[in-house]
Amino acid sequence: MDIQWSILAEYAPFFLKGTLLTIGLSLAGILIGTILGLFIGLGKMMKNKFLSFPFGVYITLFRGTPMLVQIMLIHFAVVPLFTGGTNGIAAAILTLSLNSAAYIAEIFRAGIQSIDKGQMEAARSLGMTHVQAMRYVILPQAFKRMIPPLGNEFIVLIKESSLASLVAAPELMYWGRAMQGQYFRVWEPYITAALIYLVLTLSLSYVLSRLERRLATE
Amino acid sequence: MKKFKLLTTFLVMAFMLMLTACGSSETSGNGDGSDKEKKTLRVVTDAAYAPFEYQDKGEIVGFDIDLIKAVAKEAGYEIDIAHTGWDPIFVELEKKIADIGISSITINDDRKKTYDFSVPYFLSTNKIMVPEGSDIKSAEDLKDKTVAVQNATTGQEAVEGLLGKNSSQIKKFENNNLAILELKAGGADAVVADNTVIEEYAKNNPNDKFVIIEDKDAFAQEFYGLMFSKGSKIKADFDKALNEVFDNGTYAEIYKEWFKVDPDVQLLKDQQ
Repeated sequence: MDIQWSILAEYAPFFLKGTLLTIGLSLAGILIGTILGLFIGLGKMMKNKFLSFPFGVYITLFRGTPMLVQIMLIHFAVVPLFTGGTNGIAAAILTLSLNSAAYIAEIFRAGIQSIDKGQMEAARSLGMTHVQAMRYVILPQAFKRMIPPLGNEFIVLIKESSLASLVAAPELMYWGRAMQGQYFRVWEPYITAALIYLVLTLSLSYVLSRLERRLATE
Repeated sequence: MKKFKLLTTFLVMAFMLMLTACGSSETSGNGDGSDKEKKTLRVVTDAAYAPFEYQDKGEIVGFDIDLIKAVAKEAGYEIDIAHTGWDPIFVELEKKIADIGISSITINDDRKKTYDFSVPYFLSTNKIMVPEGSDIKSAEDLKDKTVAVQNATTGQEAVEGLLGKNSSQIKKFENNNLAILELKAGGADAVVADNTVIEEYAKNNPNDKFVIIEDKDAFAQEFYGLMFSKGSKIKADFDKALNEVFDNGTYAEIYKEWFKVDPDVQLLKDQQ
């Protein structure tokens, strides 16, 4: 295998720009997705069946269809509906946020429901309101259990952001494909892209494992 | 610890088994490719380029497909056509997994460094597609506009020649259909692609109101060729067969069937 370092050097600035955009897209997706996911998760847990139904539909739709389809639909149909034009970056952020929100909602729900009922009863019997009990007793315990699956979701999200290359958002994978298209070489662009994705996901899992250790009680 | 060792041994063995399995299938494939006299050639194409090659209810059809069938018959080979997408064509031929690529592939010097080409079989130029009423009248007008192209095509090269390599005004898509969708959705001001494809699109979708602009000064004449691996042994057979197909009228027949006009066979033969 011969690696042509010269073309890698030529594309290095583009890979750098692409990496920054990939990080930006992923961060935006994670942040918006987490906030949306929290509300959707709480919404789905509501006792009133009519109120919780739309949240269930949302989760079913976004979890049950491929992200590839979602990004195409959002890019070519949804974004032009609002702005009159397409915008690859906006479409990518929107898709990543909406898609991860569906998964994160379920992670929140699972985390909260995994806490024993007695915890809520004990908190209430101490005189706390339902909100107080949630905030000071249930959520802190639930959050600890949610970190591993959340980390999982974030890592998936970083990798899925590569789909944005299909709607010409100039992120990491887009430049990898552009380089491949220009020189008709496979190893240089794709191994470089793979390594950068690996570095990104490794750093994220490092941060998450630090967080997990800090929150560990034993 | 012992358990761990056992597991590792098992894993290593399973892995080696997988490797040998892959290896053996690969060698048998290669053996097929070079030893036997009469063999089935693997033809790869990107069947998303109507009317040259596209899928009609799962069946790969088009001008290129009819042509390669006629030429292969003339040359005395069996062929097996596979839709791989655009980029994999180049990889498969380089790695000699496939024998022939036919996918409206323009013959150019860059590609000739890595691949062999047959004699030219089709003349094409890049043209510009814009919405009706656009102020783009020539390639010169593209300079401050956003242009959608198919990644790794001569259309992309032509636009990069005008706007600069990797310019942020160029949006590169997986195929021309996505580039045209982008134009339709307002994300680009123009699409630059091979004339036949965008003319066909404009003709089939009159409601989209697209106009095709020709700019002979900015975009050079291009010729399509069959693409082979470097040093391919079958190239000579196919060159001969292509010329026979030109001479006996089969080419004109297929051309007329797909494009409704007569081809300029002499022009193609002059290029040889």
